[in-house]
Amino acid sequence: MIVEQLVQSGIKLVASLPDDWIAPLIDAVDKDDRFKHVPVNREESAVGLCSGAFFGGIPSLALMGASGLTTCIYAITKINYSYHIPLFIFATLRGVIGDPRPHHISNGLYLTKLLDSISLPFLLVEERKTIERIPAAFKHCQAMNRPEVVLFSEAVLLGEA
Amino acid sequence: MDLRDCFKYFAGRQGDGVVITSAGVTSGTWWRTTHDMDQVFYLGASMSMISMFGAGIAMGAPKLPVWVFMGDGAFVMNPGMLMVERDLNLPNLKHFLVSNRVYNATGAARLANAKRNDYAAIARAVGIERVFEIDSLEGLHGQFDKIVSEPGHTFTVLEVEPLREKPGGVPIDDVESKFRFGRYIERKAGIKIFRHPALEPMNR
Repeated sequence: MIVEQLVQSGIKLVASLPDDWIAPLIDAVDKDDRFKHVPVNREESAVGLCSGAFFGGIPSLALMGASGLTTCIYAITKINYSYHIPLFIFATLRGVIGDPRPHHISNGLYLTKLLDSISLPFLLVEERKTIERIPAAFKHCQAMNRPEVVLFSEAVLLGEA
Repeated sequence: MDLRDCFKYFAGRQGDGVVITSAGVTSGTWWRTTHDMDQVFYLGASMSMISMFGAGIAMGAPKLPVWVFMGDGAFVMNPGMLMVERDLNLPNLKHFLVSNRVYNATGAARLANAKRNDYAAIARAVGIERVFEIDSLEGLHGQFDKIVSEPGHTFTVLEVEPLREKPGGVPIDDVESKFRFGRYIERKAGIKIFRHPALEPMNR
């Protein structure tokens, strides 16, 4: 269902680095001929590749875990904010109620606050029906010429919502 | 090799291709050499991202030569980019590593492990087949066609001396740079970059 919304958005290129929640989506994209999937060495490389793809006329998505997104703040604010280059990002909403992994506590405490602090818009997808808003979020990202993030809950990503 | 002479040689042979430069003396020297604002994107931030940035362009515009000039201060921040480059193996992407072994723009502090770093060996170790090492203008003249004119992704180490006199910054607004560079690619590669999202949806 998420994949179909990517197609609906017109996305052709997906750069990814997994966490365990998002791995099934990466697998689905990898097996789907409608996308060029590029595994990257670190999340910042996805920011660089997708930002360059903008100048290649390729609608793209950077797919990563919450921790990876927090490592990209400098790249996002310097590349995408300074030059007004749109960047569409999917990330995991880690560390919230229901996530038992202690190493994601910092994401639960700070991720959305961090995004707010740099005025980075995000769409929370905690219910299946919100998936349908992905094309609108993508269009908003393009219209603003800025980055935009979609944060997914575990239940949505693993098909339990 | 003197970076200024090196860039003069490249600029004279650039043709229709585009150039991406990393922050610091690489950007400043390319600007001083060419005064170009259309065929070049001076990525004045996130130094280690420029080859990925160039790869994104090269994917979308496969007939457009894309030259990336990255300082070694940028390279050491993200050498893993070479694994992605090798995976992509884009024939129109040429990655040039400007190796002066120091952080030249910020006072010439030396890089970690500066003298021993073998950048070409790192590239070969990830499977990049066409790796070149150039330390003189004569060497550049001799190898240029092999590196640039023949199709295929290449990684080339340009060993240069640190500049004593810093070239200074690039006097262009970031957003102006975006549009001038993007419009150039639209014209030369025949691709659409700038759209009105309400009138020209991505999926059409």
